[in-house]
Amino acid sequence: MSGATRTNGSSRFRGVVDLAGVQTDRGATIYVYEAPVRVWHWVNALCVAVLIVTGYLIGAPPPSVTGEASAHFQFGYIRFAHFAAGQVLTVFFMMRIYWAFMGNRHARQIFYLPFWSATWWKGVWWEAKWYLFLTAEPKKYVAHNPLAHIAMFFTVTLGNIGMIITGFALYSEDAGRDSWQARLFGWVFTLFPNSQDVRTLHHLGLWVIVTFTILHIYAAVREEIMSRQTMIATMISGERQFRDDRDD
Amino acid sequence: MAQATETFYEVIRRQGITRRSFTRFCSLTAASLGLAPAAAPRIAHALETKPRLPIIWMHGLECTCCSESFIRSAHPLAKDVVLSMISLDYDDTLMAAAGHQAEAILDDIRTKYKGGYVLAVEGNPPLNEDGMYCIDGGKPFVEKLKAMAADSLAVVAWGSCASWGCVQAAKPNPTQAVPIDRVIRDKPVIKVPGCPPIAEVMTGVISYITTFGRLPELDRQGRPKMFYSQRIHDKCYRRASFDAGQFVEEWDDEGARKGYCLYKMGCRGPTTYNACSTVRWNDGVSFPIQSGHGCIGCSEQGFWDNGPFYDRLSNVRQFGIEANADRVGGVVAGVVAAGVVAHAAVTAVTRLTKKR
Amino acid sequence: MDINTPNGFRLDNSGRRVVVDPVTRIEGHLRVEVNVDANNVIRNAVSTGTMWRGIELILKGRDPRDAWAFTQRICGVCTGTHALTSVRAVENALGITIPENANTIRNIMQLALYVHDHIVHFYHLHALDWVDVVSALSADPKATSALAQSISDWPLSSPGYFRDLQGRLKRFVESGQLGPFRNAYWGHPAYKLPPEANLMAVAHYLEALDFQKEIVKIHTVYGGKNPHPNWLVGGVPCAINIDGAGATGAVNIERLNLVSGIIDRAVTFTEQVYLPDLKAIASFYKDWLYGGGLSGRSVLAYGDIPEHANDYSPASLLLPQGAIINGNLAEVQPIDLKDPAQIQEFVTHSWYKYPDEAHGLHPFDGITEPNYALGRNTKGSRTDIHEIDEGAKYSWLKAPRWRGHAMEVGPLARWVVGYAQNKPQFREPVEKLLHDLNVPVGALFSTLGRTAARGLECQWAAHELRRFQDKLLASIKAGDLATAYTEKWTPDTWPAKEVRGVGFTEAPRGALGHWVSIQGGKIDNYQCVVPTTWNGSPRDPAGNIGAFEAALLDTPMADPAQPLEIIRTLHSFDPCLACSTH
Ligand code: HEM
Ligand code: HEM
Ligand code: NFV
Ligand code: SF4
Ligand code: SF4
Ligand code: F3S
Ligand SMILES: [Mg+2]
Repeated sequence: MSGATRTNGSSRFRGVVDLAGVQTDRGATIYVYEAPVRVWHWVNALCVAVLIVTGYLIGAPPPSVTGEASAHFQFGYIRFAHFAAGQVLTVFFMMRIYWAFMGNRHARQIFYLPFWSATWWKGVWWEAKWYLFLTAEPKKYVAHNPLAHIAMFFTVTLGNIGMIITGFALYSEDAGRDSWQARLFGWVFTLFPNSQDVRTLHHLGLWVIVTFTILHIYAAVREEIMSRQTMIATMISGERQFRDDRDD
Repeated sequence: MAQATETFYEVIRRQGITRRSFTRFCSLTAASLGLAPAAAPRIAHALETKPRLPIIWMHGLECTCCSESFIRSAHPLAKDVVLSMISLDYDDTLMAAAGHQAEAILDDIRTKYKGGYVLAVEGNPPLNEDGMYCIDGGKPFVEKLKAMAADSLAVVAWGSCASWGCVQAAKPNPTQAVPIDRVIRDKPVIKVPGCPPIAEVMTGVISYITTFGRLPELDRQGRPKMFYSQRIHDKCYRRASFDAGQFVEEWDDEGARKGYCLYKMGCRGPTTYNACSTVRWNDGVSFPIQSGHGCIGCSEQGFWDNGPFYDRLSNVRQFGIEANADRVGGVVAGVVAAGVVAHAAVTAVTRLTKKR
Repeated sequence: MDINTPNGFRLDNSGRRVVVDPVTRIEGHLRVEVNVDANNVIRNAVSTGTMWRGIELILKGRDPRDAWAFTQRICGVCTGTHALTSVRAVENALGITIPENANTIRNIMQLALYVHDHIVHFYHLHALDWVDVVSALSADPKATSALAQSISDWPLSSPGYFRDLQGRLKRFVESGQLGPFRNAYWGHPAYKLPPEANLMAVAHYLEALDFQKEIVKIHTVYGGKNPHPNWLVGGVPCAINIDGAGATGAVNIERLNLVSGIIDRAVTFTEQVYLPDLKAIASFYKDWLYGGGLSGRSVLAYGDIPEHANDYSPASLLLPQGAIINGNLAEVQPIDLKDPAQIQEFVTHSWYKYPDEAHGLHPFDGITEPNYALGRNTKGSRTDIHEIDEGAKYSWLKAPRWRGHAMEVGPLARWVVGYAQNKPQFREPVEKLLHDLNVPVGALFSTLGRTAARGLECQWAAHELRRFQDKLLASIKAGDLATAYTEKWTPDTWPAKEVRGVGFTEAPRGALGHWVSIQGGKIDNYQCVVPTTWNGSPRDPAGNIGAFEAALLDTPMADPAQPLEIIRTLHSFDPCLACSTH
């Protein structure tokens, strides 16, 4: 970890409007994403990729294979991959939640929105202007920029929870009425007694996540190039490097 | 046929039910009816002195196909159910009496067998227009339904109409037809959904009650677990093709002739709880999938609004759009992707022009 | 107060009002009120359909390929006929054709429905109007056996058989729990059968209950279940495979044999049980010739059972098409279901609203907008009707008219049209029956005539079943396995502009039509005009009364408190109220 970082509770801050309350020096790097966060991020990304592809195929299967049914398990494998990825995603998400308690303050960011903070709203506004080409320069952010933060909270945090709940509810139908999945998630069918409705919701979730992923990857690449700080590298090494020494 | 003079109580005793569990049944029944404990002996008396369990079968808004299904029962035969198991004291479709004579039976049963008869309901009550979309004896059906439910031992909801609302409750539900448990709040309601339910499932539920002297165990949604805890898909004989990835792609294609899975033709087997793939229909002859058509989910709540039936994905009808999840999501994602490309282009241009 | 209706009936509502509600042993909810004069003769009749579900409205905006499933739920008794009518309407609108095998299988399903529905109607919905169950207790089993053997070769006819049955019946009655036979009209003077005939009929009531579940297995084979088998726009859903891998998952030789065996039994049951019973019962009621109503004046049939796929012209239809007006059997008028001047529905006396209720609407322009309101002269209240006011709106049925005429539809209408057209397949059985019973042609136009026509039709249908099943076998033998055409399956192959289509069938209860408009791949308007809508129709602006009301007129009642004569005549139409109002 190079460069000096100081945490500072004073009213003036340099370099950030994301409430991290951290000041930095020129060219400083800050250790933002601890290993569990990074590992979770990439495992999650991988699972999501598998889930999107297999999930889509579950809704719209590939052309039929020929020959005896007993000789094939094509759709079975697609579904198996989906379930496997879904379970891995769930386990890592639970680990990620655990880390929200154990990790640094940035580990908590995606689990809540600071609605009450004027500074944060200022950041939302500024970041929106930046994406609308209304300002020449973005602000600097130690962790997620406020727009990304909003998107992550709704589509990944809540999105994952929704997909896990509906996914396991659907899985419980395969596992049977007496399975632990049914005991834990069967209540979903009290809310939506027709499991076709649960599928429709789960399926709509796919598109929410696809949409997020498109925006997210684009933003990550763009900000890697355009912003005043590192992005993708940060999610790999955990360290954020700022490229200039100016305030915010 | 000496049994014909046996009472309901004697029948269940002969089937090995103890006196204790019989009285327990009666007091549990009384309790579940919200009756005073003193009512238990009365229920017991009714069942002890009568050979057959009285059943009142009422019809609301419906198509009578639940009755039609019932009379198809092969084991037990419908005639044996009616002659030896139950006393079908009122059923608009089959009873000999009409008009005042029919109405009089309802009053009579209500008073004589208070808490000791089963109310079976086919169809459902409409609530719009003060209930006058279904008039019975000059009055709203819903009134008669509530009155007869109030003094019954338990209520059986035949079919998807009584259980969920069914076709008349499909959007826009012009009569505001509601499932019967929306108006019968204080009685155990046994839902036997299906449009119609399988005959042997119907007679199975009845004979379960008369054989074991208790109401069947119900699932979270009020359906007898014994018939509704597995999906069509779980026991479908085409499941091997589903797992293999062999689907009917078009009607009457090679796959259809070979009996491939109907998933791509919209089969709702994976989301439908019913006994069709196990019990099958009409004495086990076939069931929808075996005869080449997907399941349309006829035992599920709101299945009419989960169409179109020939698409795997149901239409979403919100915010004035009507399309399936892939079409809605595809458009959203497509627009976003196009936006991203445009955004990237503008970014590149601004960057280049600024650099100069 | 006397009214003379334009269709030739005299109504007088000054006498005592008798109300029958609910009318039972029918499908759905029906109320009937009559006025009887001092001699207890019916002088005015008012028939009120007392249910409505709005299925025409529910269909709007749906995928037309799904419409069959919705309309099928109009009725579970005539299950399948609405579905068939619906797929025909959609195919007509979209220009979709079906393979020959699909036409054959559809015919087999429709014919199986006739056999089933007619048997169930005769034994389970209608018989108790003629048969006194309690009287059967005093029958002599030996004499019953002799009677049964004298009219039929049906094997279940030994003295022991009837003795056992009588014993079971006795114990049932002695239990004090009469079940469905409770509180009925036993001993009513209008019952005319001797105890032996009653006992035989009760035996066949139970046998028919067992048999009806067999005949529907034909639907189960081709449609997957009954009630409410599956249908398909463009053909039928079941595929045929008799040689290849997977034949066990399709219509194969085992399935074909299953159907064949059932058809044989249907023929036997109809000929050895149903028809002999019909004749035996009719012979005791020969002079009860009430209930003719419209049948001798105005009858209508659309025709059905196309011999050739996609050909719905009268030449291809085995059941006849045409209209007879004012009893003129010499002229059967051609009909056109798309002609706006022919079929129209009125709502002046129906609980619906039109912008202009003086005029009728052709179903292509049909409007279904509910409007529940009672007339000034109603006795009781809005939610507790004691006597209805037929001067105002009084039924959930619309009033369909053909060129302004109220028409009777149903088996009798079909057989009268076929008879008038001199078609031997209708003429000969009718003449034979009239001859056997030794009654004149005029006897046809009665309550019993309706019941008899249904029996003849059942027999005809059973034989046609055999023929079409053989036709299917021959076609398969010749190598034709096609059961569905799919070129126009997906909506992108359909016309973008609005298209309209009509589908029709002869439902068990009569002429049935569905009119559909499709636009942008969705249903724009859907209108059904149903057999019981014709028969049970309320009055129209001109004051014509419908078939139920007409048939009840002038019938003497033995005891108005026990309305056996009323339900007897109503039942002869086999009313279906869920159908009629939909
Ligand atoms: C990002 C996360 C996920 C996405 C995008 C996703 C996507 C999908 C999609 C599109 C379907 C097809 C739904 C249909 O049309 O019927 C599906 C089905 C399913 N998913 Fe997921 N899913 C996700 C997470 C999960 C999770 C966490 C589980 C839990 C194990 C899960 C379990 C299932 C199950 C059981 C099915 C039904 C498969 C079948 O019955 O054939 N999914 N998923
Ligand atoms: C090639 C694919 C991806 C790349 C390059 C990428 C890149 C990044 C980067 C650079 C960050 C840090 C953003 C910042 O510092 O503000 C990040 C965070 C995040 N990404 Fe991704 N990402 C990818 C795929 C995904 C996918 C598929 C998802 C989920 C559907 C996802 C969900 C997240 C979340 C939730 C965070 C916040 C992590 C936290 O605070 O715990 N990413 N990603
Ligand atoms: N009326 C009528 Fe139907 C018939 N037959 C249908 O079209 O019964 Ni429900
Ligand atoms: S549940 Fe279906 S089958 Fe039964 S009455 Fe209702 S519409 Fe008919
Ligand atoms: S046909 Fe339907 S129920 Fe059977 S395996 Fe395929 S999807 Fe499942
Ligand atoms: S449509 Fe209904 S009949 Fe069975 S197979 Fe499906 S639940
Ligand atoms: Mg109509």
